[in-house]
Amino acid sequence: MRRPEPLAWPPAGVAGARTGARRSPGRLLLQRFLRHRLALASGLLLLGLVAAALAAPLVAMALGLDANAVDLLDRFGPPSAAHPLGTDELGRDVLLRLLYGGRVSLAVGLLGALAAALIGTVIGLLAGYAGGRTDAALMRLTDAVIALPLLPLLIVLAALDYSKLGLPGGLMRSEQGSLYVILMIVALVGWTTVARLVRGATLSVREHDFVRAARALGAGPAWIMGRHILPNVLSPIIVATTLSVGNIVLTESVLSFLGLGIQPPLPSWGNMLTNAQDTIWQAPALAIWPGLMIFVTVIAFNFLGDGLQDALDPRSGQH
Amino acid sequence: MQRLMALCVALAALWGGISAAQAKDELVIGITQFPATFHPNIESMAAKSYILDMAQRPFTTYDADWQLVCMLCTELPTLENGKAVLEPGPNGSQGMALTYSIRPDAAWGDGTPITTQDVQFTYELGRHPQSGVSNAEMYRRITKLDLIDERSFVMHIDRVTFDYNGINDFRLVPAHLERPIFAADPAAYRTRTSFDRDPTNPGLYFGPYRISQVASGDYVVLEPNPRWAGKAPFFRKIVVRVIENTAALEANLLSGGIDMIAGELGLSVDQALAFEHRHGERFQIVYKPALFFEHIDLNLANPILADRRVRQALMYGIDRELLTKKLFEGRQEVATGPVSPLDWIYAADVPRYAEDLAAAGRLLDDAGWTEQTDGIRHNAKGEPLSLELTTTAGNRTRELVQQVLQAQWRRIGVEVRINNQPARVMFGETLTKRRFPAMVMFAFVSSPENVPRTILHSDQVPSEANGWAGQNYNGYQNPKMDQLLDQIERELDRPKRQALWRQLQQLYAEELPALPLYYRSDVHIWPLWLKGVRPTGHMGYSSLWVEDWRAEGG
Amino acid sequence: MLRYLVQRALEALAVLLLMSFVIYLLLGLMPGDPIDLMASGDPRITPADIARLKALYGLDRPLLERYGHWLAGSLTGDFGYSRIHAVPVLEVLAPRLVNTVWLMGLSFLLACLIALPAGVLAAVRPQGWLDYGINLVAFAGLSLPSFWLGILLILLFSVELGWLPAGGVGTVGGGGLGDRILHLILPVLALTLLTTGRLIRFTRGAMIEALRQNHIRTARAKGLAPAAVVLRHAVPNAMIPVVTVLALDFGSLFSGALVIETIFAYQGMGKLIYDAILGNDYNLALVGLLFATLLTLLSNLAADLVYAWLDPRIAYAPA
Repeated sequence: MRRPEPLAWPPAGVAGARTGARRSPGRLLLQRFLRHRLALASGLLLLGLVAAALAAPLVAMALGLDANAVDLLDRFGPPSAAHPLGTDELGRDVLLRLLYGGRVSLAVGLLGALAAALIGTVIGLLAGYAGGRTDAALMRLTDAVIALPLLPLLIVLAALDYSKLGLPGGLMRSEQGSLYVILMIVALVGWTTVARLVRGATLSVREHDFVRAARALGAGPAWIMGRHILPNVLSPIIVATTLSVGNIVLTESVLSFLGLGIQPPLPSWGNMLTNAQDTIWQAPALAIWPGLMIFVTVIAFNFLGDGLQDALDPRSGQH
Repeated sequence: MQRLMALCVALAALWGGISAAQAKDELVIGITQFPATFHPNIESMAAKSYILDMAQRPFTTYDADWQLVCMLCTELPTLENGKAVLEPGPNGSQGMALTYSIRPDAAWGDGTPITTQDVQFTYELGRHPQSGVSNAEMYRRITKLDLIDERSFVMHIDRVTFDYNGINDFRLVPAHLERPIFAADPAAYRTRTSFDRDPTNPGLYFGPYRISQVASGDYVVLEPNPRWAGKAPFFRKIVVRVIENTAALEANLLSGGIDMIAGELGLSVDQALAFEHRHGERFQIVYKPALFFEHIDLNLANPILADRRVRQALMYGIDRELLTKKLFEGRQEVATGPVSPLDWIYAADVPRYAEDLAAAGRLLDDAGWTEQTDGIRHNAKGEPLSLELTTTAGNRTRELVQQVLQAQWRRIGVEVRINNQPARVMFGETLTKRRFPAMVMFAFVSSPENVPRTILHSDQVPSEANGWAGQNYNGYQNPKMDQLLDQIERELDRPKRQALWRQLQQLYAEELPALPLYYRSDVHIWPLWLKGVRPTGHMGYSSLWVEDWRAEGG
Repeated sequence: MLRYLVQRALEALAVLLLMSFVIYLLLGLMPGDPIDLMASGDPRITPADIARLKALYGLDRPLLERYGHWLAGSLTGDFGYSRIHAVPVLEVLAPRLVNTVWLMGLSFLLACLIALPAGVLAAVRPQGWLDYGINLVAFAGLSLPSFWLGILLILLFSVELGWLPAGGVGTVGGGGLGDRILHLILPVLALTLLTTGRLIRFTRGAMIEALRQNHIRTARAKGLAPAAVVLRHAVPNAMIPVVTVLALDFGSLFSGALVIETIFAYQGMGKLIYDAILGNDYNLALVGLLFATLLTLLSNLAADLVYAWLDPRIAYAPA
């Protein structure tokens, strides 16, 4: 007996399976997605954010500034021509730091979600396809990870000494070390939803005629999983991954709040927001900007995921 | 439900209004940490000392003027008054005999008089290997204890030091309550002590207050101890509330949830400055320079840092004056070494390393770091002048300072990579086992005229062989320094000692085993009506004089 | 049925045992032990002291041996002493658990009361203005950084308006039920805001799915009043997955809400476990985490039972 997946996705990603490969043309998908105006707006907004974050070095050049350039004589500066959003507690340009922080936060969110999806897909496919004991063991593992109280565990993982585990000490000691640690943590605990989705979908696809036929023709498991099953479970994976990006961005901010997030001078929205706590009376803007960015990003990813779900779920056309 | 809530809100508002109208006879103090234990001799922790100091007293302590005074004793033993006598030590060395008397009016909160039996028991406890007492060094130095009568005793110590008569850490434990528990099973004592199993037992305390209620992690309530024979305390009740998040701590102060924030365990100076700018007129805000030596320890085994010229260049490369002026508005003083400018032994005429980029450049050139590529110096072998700097992650002040330093060093072609770690990782391993490649920023806390033996003596370098003991994390080894430390400790003559201290500070400034940054200040935030609190700036907290605290007009 | 229960219980035990081992190992991998930490803060502690204290606390023995010792003790009901509270672990745990039940229980209840009707309402006419409005609120709640929300609430209701206490469990000395509720309002509000969104989204998803079923369309075709269709036919169906998710959430309540507890200085399980981990309090961290895990597993089990009860088609076959 299995429970349905704790995600607002119709339990079986089977509908498209009848056709084996994806037949629904991309245009139809696009049309359905475009109907979802909020999702569309969110998608555009996120594209804009990503573009702006990627363009951070260009902006830095245009403004003639360095995101880490400290100027003790110009702390908490108001918005000006030189600093469009003013300066922070060390006289650094807030706009630039927001852009660079966006790079980090978005990278953590996107890469973390991708890594988690990858792990989840592999485990889900294995469990669903192999069945039997492998399935039972993998699903117990999933249960165990879900049952883990997440936050305390994140703390343990963030404080671990990775060189003891034989991981490259140089990597973890680099300026981006905290970034890798967080990515790894997020991936290690975030894969369960996707794993369950994929397993469920795999279970139902496995017994379809076209899969049986492929197996009868001597196709190996890897081939069947990759060629026949994966395309059919792709849409729930995409939706779940999109929805999880926002969560990961929030997780990063919480880790920053606990002092276990991205380490300075590398800015992230999370650590900018955390640092602004103490000066909230003196310079509320310092807290408002990163808070707003986090809020907007997370909500946009949620709307986007919502829209994708409607677009990718063929039955949503029924109402 | 809604109505009930509305009613509650109204009642609370009413109750708040009434209590505000009354004369203030309650004080609610906010601190940021909850003590792990209330046992005076197990673990050392700021929160415990702060609370316990209202309910217990040490024999001796430094006061707000940094003078050693008697609290539980009647008179400090000195060579002059004859209560301190030189005598041969146990193994041929010179030792001392010190005579102390307990104040005649001292009694535990349950009426039992404090006697030398308590002293004897505390001593036994301290020396027992299984008692769990953390700082056993002091008890080991006491070779013998002679009880003269109910109130007087002679302590024989195995060495002669200038601070021989200070026994600030000798904290009495009530024999009449604790001896049976200890005797039953010494190994289990630390988990069975009344201080933790029955912390509101009046018999455990003898200060102006006694602990009357403990809500673990949340708050501690103190009420006047009727057996206290000294000056009667003003407040009918003192509540110490623990709020770890400093933003929430401030909010509680503003909303009236707490009356004051203790300087010993409260806001950092930069937080307090931001607070003062907006709410300064509603509170008394006192910045008390404290014996918190913020500095950067260097791994002297690192070939780059082993070169003294590089260390000096690093000092010339940073503008500490500007840093303290801008970040702390001059409320924290630039440090020249491990001796505070406020200590009487401070030598002002040692090299101060004011910012001098040209000098820094020359020194680095001399040291062979001549090639500049992408603004970073390299040596002839093509190695970059790149150093890693670690500090406690999440400590906002240190992170700010660290980023300023990083930017400033960049100007002289030194690349600094930041790798911060949670406090428990840094103090638990990286620092204490000397596993940092270059630099670690943190603070040493000390008491007045504290000899920095553990941080500078060559036998205090932590290593596998010595069980990772000592705090000479730099790995600094200099026979001259060792000699000075030994001489200072043994020198009883103040002018002579002062001269030695000067030499030590001079040597430190020249050699730079570590990079001194600044001395931290405690920030006390009090309501306008609170009077009589005297911040000390050292480990003898202001709460040791809690009976002097009062509300104005009360 | 009985066989199924027994099997699930055995599985849960196995997961718990495994978890206890993994957590112990993880804690052991964290650098430094309590004595190292103590010694670094107190220069007067000598090597001899360190060795003596380590032996006293049993820290000089190998990790596995310590784990075995702990396991043997806990099987007899002796969970050891908490190092940072200096009392037996269960004595620390009990009052915190009560606090957590108050805080989390109330916000859980409130979240249900808001989310279930809101989700159903939103699903009745997807893409309608009500749906948009409810979605917007739900996503907004999902997207707020928790510590940020907490601080804002305190600033508004405690500092500016002065209506509510800024933190704590109750007035010192105990002010009765009203006082307790007064202290609960802000944290409960924050938690409810943060958790309702997910629940609304899930309820909405389940409802939309339920409304698509054939028998609903049949009922509509028969001319039943729309309200009756929704309430009598769709809601019961939609509640099956919702209840499952609720049960899962309920389990995770007991690991507390670390961030909210920290901001509101509320003495709950989240803070307890966090402090225990950071303070190297092995016994407390372990028991706290295991307890939270146990409750999650139990509510998992309860969810399965409820699910089966709501949907009689499901047979109890070992998975």
